[in-house]
Amino acid sequence: MIDHHIFEDLQAKIDDEAAVRDELHDIVQTLARKGRSTQAILSRAHSTPTDQLKPILNDATKEIIAQRDEVSRLKTVADKHPFYKYNGLWTRELQNLVSSIELCAWLGGLEEYKASSSASFLTIEEVGTFLGVPVNLKEQDAFHLTIEEYLLALISMVEELARLAVNSVTLGDYTRPVQIGNFIKDLFAGFQLLNLKNDILRKRSDGIKYSVKKVEDVVYDLSLRNLIPKGSAAA
Amino acid sequence: MAGTKRTWDGQPLRDEATNTTIPTRTSTQNQPTMATPTTEAQEQQLANPIISMFETFRDELDEHHDRRERLIKTSRDITALSKKIIFSLQRPSQPQPHTTPPNHKNPHRIRTLNAPLPANITKETTTRFTQINTLFTSLLPDLLAPPNTWRYQRQLSSGIQEFIEALSFHHYLTTQTLITLPEVQAHLPAPILVTEEDYLLGLFDLTGEMMRFAVTALSAGNADTTGTSAEEEGGAVGLGEEQRGIVVDLRVMRSGFEGLSVPRRHVMFKDMGKKVDVMQGSVEKVERAAYGILVRGRERPKGWRPDLVVAGGGGGEEGY
Repeated sequence: MIDHHIFEDLQAKIDDEAAVRDELHDIVQTLARKGRSTQAILSRAHSTPTDQLKPILNDATKEIIAQRDEVSRLKTVADKHPFYKYNGLWTRELQNLVSSIELCAWLGGLEEYKASSSASFLTIEEVGTFLGVPVNLKEQDAFHLTIEEYLLALISMVEELARLAVNSVTLGDYTRPVQIGNFIKDLFAGFQLLNLKNDILRKRSDGIKYSVKKVEDVVYDLSLRNLIPKGSAAA
Repeated sequence: MAGTKRTWDGQPLRDEATNTTIPTRTSTQNQPTMATPTTEAQEQQLANPIISMFETFRDELDEHHDRRERLIKTSRDITALSKKIIFSLQRPSQPQPHTTPPNHKNPHRIRTLNAPLPANITKETTTRFTQINTLFTSLLPDLLAPPNTWRYQRQLSSGIQEFIEALSFHHYLTTQTLITLPEVQAHLPAPILVTEEDYLLGLFDLTGEMMRFAVTALSAGNADTTGTSAEEEGGAVGLGEEQRGIVVDLRVMRSGFEGLSVPRRHVMFKDMGKKVDVMQGSVEKVERAAYGILVRGRERPKGWRPDLVVAGGGGGEEGY
């Protein structure tokens, strides 16, 4: 005496959920495509001297703003559903976007969104303001940027900066590795404050020390040969 | 270089070293009078916002991890209690001729569907269900904030699935129907989510329990049917009403499960394949057991049990 309606109801629920997933997936796909072109532009920074960065940063900002439109489209759809039910669909792309934003900001772009022109990165609140999304929502079930996503984005940015330190030297820029070294050492100190559990954040943040070491090696090589310009060493 | 040694208040020990070495190195190498004040001021400006920002993050993450671990622990306790309920529903209880004879022809086992359970088993399962309910209620404070029900759904999922398995098995034995999702939800405090995934995966496990129950029932019921009804039917060995019922019900469930199409992108997709295999195996075991009794039942000595369960890898369960 098994009621077959039970299975029909389940099928209906499965179909509903699949439709939601498809809708979100389409938006995330667009976000990902635009994200790749942002990253392609930003990676030109590795072969461009600092004083010629401006056009690259402008191009990157344009792409980032295009991605921001996708995020608000995503937010509209996602807000109709429980946040953590579908969060996994877009978290990766959102992290990539935040990481691009941070890298662009570190290189000197997105100035109007930084607390001060000397700031080298955007805080989670500033990223939220820029993207037009709330951050770290705890009492309200709506679309937002989570702390984990922000931290993972910072880690990607650190990895990119470590690569940039090496490439800066190739371009003849001996100051930037020192700046990068100071910045990522500060972030590293910050990450060490966290009590991480055995999760993705721990796995990824374990990699920061290798980035720090990579940059320290570059700085060591430069200072050994007296290549670091005197005034900038402390900056 | 793993570098996570900390003081009692969670400050990493290495952190102090790196922070202090930077200013001292610059102050010893450069001119101490000029360089120290400016670099230190800059250091402070740079490092402090980062440190205080990360301190906030640490508090938030600690809160999250603590809550997550509490929920996992409770979920495990719920799983353990649910398993105990299932065991006692499967277990042939001790013969109690003094307490239960009027209810049952065969008082020392639950071998009847759609009827109240023997008193001693009811007592045991009721206690367990009450304990589970207390555990679920204890989860509520952690799920109070609206995003949390879904945020920690994965941590609770296994406990809920096991609970659904126990509840649906109990429900099936007493009513011979499948419990519906709203009925499951009614057994739990409202903020606890019962997702379709958990419900469906719980039902998959139910088929395994039904299989175990049916195979034991078929072998135990065999003596009954040859003794009474079969002889009335002119010598043919038939299955008892309940036994036939389970075989039919399992077939209906099998066709129901097989009729579901889960798209590739659905969360359930990866769990489904294996569960379907196990479920099909369970149904087949029962079908073969029924066949074995019908065809060869009369030739078997009394007390014979189908050996299919052992052959099919039923594990230690065949002893029940």
